Amino acid sequence: MSDLDRWIEQLKRCEALKESEVKELCERALDILVEESNVQRVDAPITICGDIHGQFYDLMELFKVGGDCPQTNYLFMGDFVDRGFYSVETFLLLLALKVRYPDRITLIRGNHESRQITQVYGFYDECLRKYGSANVWRYCTDIFDYLSLSALIDQRMFCVHGGLSPTVKSLNEIRVIDRKQEVPHDGAMCDLLWSDPEDIEGWGLSPRGAGYLFGGDICTQFNQDNKVEVVARAHQLVMEGYKWMFGQQLVTVWSAPNYCYRCGNVAAILELDGALNKNFKVFEAAPQDARGIPTKTAAPDYFL
Amino acid sequence: MTEAVQGTNDDAQVSKLSCVQRGYFQDRFLQYFVRKATRRAPLINRGYFTRFSALQQLIQRFLTVPGQLQIISLGAGYDTTWFRLMEQGSAPAHCFEVDFPEVTQRKAAIIGAQPELKRVLESSGSISGHSGKGHLHTARYSLLPGDLRDVQQVQAALLEAGLQPGQPTLVLAECVLVYMQPAESAALVRQLGSLLTTAACLVYEQIRPDDAFGKQMLLNLERRGCPLLGLHATPSLQAHEQRLTANGWSRATATDLDTVYRHHIDPAEKRRIERLEIFDEFEEWHLIQEHYCITIGINDATGILADYGFAQFSTSQVNPPIM
Repeated sequence: MSDLDRWIEQLKRCEALKESEVKELCERALDILVEESNVQRVDAPITICGDIHGQFYDLMELFKVGGDCPQTNYLFMGDFVDRGFYSVETFLLLLALKVRYPDRITLIRGNHESRQITQVYGFYDECLRKYGSANVWRYCTDIFDYLSLSALIDQRMFCVHGGLSPTVKSLNEIRVIDRKQEVPHDGAMCDLLWSDPEDIEGWGLSPRGAGYLFGGDICTQFNQDNKVEVVARAHQLVMEGYKWMFGQQLVTVWSAPNYCYRCGNVAAILELDGALNKNFKVFEAAPQDARGIPTKTAAPDYFL
Repeated sequence: MTEAVQGTNDDAQVSKLSCVQRGYFQDRFLQYFVRKATRRAPLINRGYFTRFSALQQLIQRFLTVPGQLQIISLGAGYDTTWFRLMEQGSAPAHCFEVDFPEVTQRKAAIIGAQPELKRVLESSGSISGHSGKGHLHTARYSLLPGDLRDVQQVQAALLEAGLQPGQPTLVLAECVLVYMQPAESAALVRQLGSLLTTAACLVYEQIRPDDAFGKQMLLNLERRGCPLLGLHATPSLQAHEQRLTANGWSRATATDLDTVYRHHIDPAEKRRIERLEIFDEFEEWHLIQEHYCITIGINDATGILADYGFAQFSTSQVNPPIM
């Protein structure tokens, strides 16, 4: 068994790798990711997934529902880390699968794949707690810079973590972005990872303080200009796991069930067959006894 | 009642201190009541900020009412409101805090051990009571051990400590009644409602147990050992209002915290705190805020509380189109 296969087996048991192994895995991943386009072309059949946020045991549920990699092709639309208890294991497993089966799994960057955000939302603290130093966080955030920004499935479906940008009219404008950097505070790259669709006309300010709100007219124009049928994106919790907007021109896919162990929502993945027929699979959180039961102190916070 | 329920007090203080350390609001007394400071997620900080500023606003408003003003804080825990009001020179004539003896004993011990707190206490008159039993008393402050389920004992303790039922009184119950059985909380509310003729009652607690978020909230808090025993009896804003109006309060208004944040918090303050931390949890933010409410109950024998309630702020400008 190769090192890589051994790491995958180990990570599937939710056991983290040694620091030196993480370093090696990231170096090998870099060689693959650096070659990918900002608009990575992928072929159907493929299963599209939204935010995971370190909910490792729910990712295992996802694979149960969607099938194992590489038997099923996967596109993960970012936000692998933060919020959940197992960001390290979650991201490293997805990264190891990427290195082992580069043509079977595609990972694009979410707004949480960022040095700044991970220091607020948990991944940095988790790395410190599990490794006693920030080295693993540094290896991982360095590799985040190489993750592609979007994917295009059979020229027909555009996939991105957040949404559209007022400075991006055509996919070619995405292709020329120099993505190998921390997520900037504004500009096209930031918008792709931060924006949200909204029932407005045109563009609006985002309450998130980064990216924009965009209306159905913007989405229609973008889809027409780029000859795509649908924008698939993640980034926003939807209680039913997925949500169509703008007359089925855009879909949100959310893959973290019972988000933050608090929201009570179901999750979904979107299966596309070879002809791009869509089939949503909805799933619930892993049963309590199947996950590392959070201790009392790690129980989700409320206002008490 | 269980240790876990009393433990919610410690948890709340940790969260409030997290807010203070990030600059959401100021409270230099809080640090003495927290053993180990922990950084909370921005969502929790912003939620405690909303609760704090909404209740401060209502407390300050009450303190403008004429009379020998009194505050009764039910299940006060380590709440520092009175110390802050004393420092600002705006404390009411008397503040009564009631909680389990285990809690008031610890609070009395902390106050006794921290010179800053002790100085404030001493400035309110000579200290009597039995600190070891969790009982402290000055001319303006009473820390009273008791079990809120025993309404006769609570009333007797308040009266003995000097409560004047005819004077304007503010009753605070933050995440307290919801841990009691509905009959017990109704009895407590009724007792105070019939005793106090000029009073406002502020109840902050959870609502909406029946949707997906609410069900998970019930489950999580039950797992934590502090089940929300009262929630099914007050699942909605209307039910919260009715609990008061059916039990001795002449009128009541309940508002969920999502609405409070949108309409009743000073926009300048919101702009300030929204810049303190990266905030990327909007869907969850609205969800959790919709699952808490503040109910204001009023008894107003003389009409001095006629317009008592939240301030209204214009919300015209939220997301202006930009292009």
